[in-house]
Amino acid sequence: MERTERLLDLVALLLDAREPISWAELREHFPADYGGISDDAAERKFERDKAELLELGIPLTYVQGDDDRRDGYLVDRSAYYLPEVDLTKEELAVLYAAGSASLASGAFPGSDDLAHALRKIGFFAGDALPTPRVRMELGSAQSDPGLSSRLEHLWEACAAHKWVQISYASPKQPAVTERKVDPYGLALRRGVWTLVGYCHLRQGLRTFHVHRIRELKVNTSKPRTPDFEVPAEFSLEAHVAYFPWEHRFHEPMEVTLSLRGDAAQRAATLFPKASVAPEGERVRARLEVTFLDGLLRFCLALGQDCRVEAPEAAVNRGREMARRIVERHAPVSDEKKVSG
Amino acid sequence: MSTVHERLRRLLFLVPYVSKHPGVSVEDLSKALNVKREDLLEELDLLTCVGRPPFNPDDYVDIYVDNDRVYVDLDQRLSRPPRLTAGEAAALAAAAELLRPGSGDALQGALQKLERILPAGARERYREMHRKIDASTDAPQSLGPLTRAILERREVTFDYASPGRASEQRQVRPYELLSHRGQWYLQGYCHTRQDARLFRLDRMENLVLTDIPFQPPADARAAVPNPARSEAGVRVRFSKLVAPYVRERFGSDARLLADGGVEVRVAGDSERWLIQWVLSFGGEAEVVEPASARAAVARAAQASLGF
Repeated sequence: MERTERLLDLVALLLDAREPISWAELREHFPADYGGISDDAAERKFERDKAELLELGIPLTYVQGDDDRRDGYLVDRSAYYLPEVDLTKEELAVLYAAGSASLASGAFPGSDDLAHALRKIGFFAGDALPTPRVRMELGSAQSDPGLSSRLEHLWEACAAHKWVQISYASPKQPAVTERKVDPYGLALRRGVWTLVGYCHLRQGLRTFHVHRIRELKVNTSKPRTPDFEVPAEFSLEAHVAYFPWEHRFHEPMEVTLSLRGDAAQRAATLFPKASVAPEGERVRARLEVTFLDGLLRFCLALGQDCRVEAPEAAVNRGREMARRIVERHAPVSDEKKVSG
Repeated sequence: MSTVHERLRRLLFLVPYVSKHPGVSVEDLSKALNVKREDLLEELDLLTCVGRPPFNPDDYVDIYVDNDRVYVDLDQRLSRPPRLTAGEAAALAAAAELLRPGSGDALQGALQKLERILPAGARERYREMHRKIDASTDAPQSLGPLTRAILERREVTFDYASPGRASEQRQVRPYELLSHRGQWYLQGYCHTRQDARLFRLDRMENLVLTDIPFQPPADARAAVPNPARSEAGVRVRFSKLVAPYVRERFGSDARLLADGGVEVRVAGDSERWLIQWVLSFGGEAEVVEPASARAAVARAAQASLGF
């Protein structure tokens, strides 16, 4: 019998049973599947089926018998059936809008899980199901069809605590590197999916842009045994940069900015984690920076409303960048045009 | 995930779904399950072989297609879908984070209710898995009310400041919310401009939901903002150092140069945007033409030196 069919038969049998069903009975009920082979082989086969049913959320338990009851397997029906969630119209709308936007983006880890979850919570809603009008697009690098399957595999590896082997193409390095990584979690920042995990090659926590992973293999040996534990104090938030100056390339340094005009008004939005103090018409912002160039480029884009005040090294580096831009945009002389 | 697992999940949902919607068309059912018609018909065939021992005629699932509609007579207790698994709840919760903090109480309420309906054993695992996807983007506060306005088809008003222009009030029919590369936009019909417009949510202020109803057009779909166009007039060159990043963003729109750099043609309709963008590469980008844009970038860089 095909495995899907056998598992469905098992569900139907167990959902209908009032009394626990013993292993011996199960073997009798499925002679073609659990019979005709050694006891060990039959038990192993059933163990695999049981694990699959448990993963599907089927509350299968073994009850130890007593005077009134015999030993055997039982499914608690009240724990099996999905109850009505009683979501308000607004709650359903939020879940639907976010869920369908994530699915439509083509790249969301756990998208199979998500699709099933949306179906289930919509089961009781009937005609009340909202038509979502929220869309998420992640840009060209993110629309690579390989990305969604990699996210799916990473999500499974994260959930099952299995290590992964990746070929990583960092734009900072000419060659692709092979790494073994314990995946701790996935974060979406500004349309980019990032994997955070323990990198065995670098022997430390590292972040990887998922679209830069060229190949990915999940450790398949002992699929139900975890390969690693995520440290209790680990948080994704602390490791994934939201702003360019938060990339952990260097030791943290404090940078002071002076803002005026439009930039002064938007200071809290532009630099949410900075301490901001008004000084007359200007605003002084102090913030912790681990990637100075990232901050300086951001400041350059803000134009003359934003100036770096301290430390001096940052001031100089900023001026150096601005000078370079001026040089590169010097008027092209006629002579050069002819020869060039 | 094994194909058996996916298939089982689908089938355990299929029977109760048809039970609840007797006579659902094959087309609607395949849409609801996101499978192709032929695959669905194959699944229905398989289900007719499913039942419980001792497999008397009454012990099989009796599901059939009649006149292109699907019915189930005997569901063998598959009358409701199974509860959410930890993974399903975690994925849903992670997706919902997209709309935080904009959705406020509604999101909080929904997540609490979700957690309540999880089987006891799955709850802990759900909490652990939930922390493994972090999709909490920069969802602005206005996202929640705008989602509501779109669903309830109510016009909105807000103050909108486009760059370099003073803030003014707009009255808009909200059609669709779009997140592009982490930036949220509202697409809608602007009464003030009498035209379809895309608005950045982070530039909106004083958003109000009015009671003025509207009917959205069926095909309202926001065009994704992409400045790169092959026929556009501004040519920007990038050094070898930043070329990989530019190629990641623009794909084949970024033309490879002999020195390892790349060139992109972008639309020059917003000089302010262009200047900011070129400056943000800190000297690794250069406007090749037109000369006016080159000069504007040089002036802006010179000004930051003088400040």
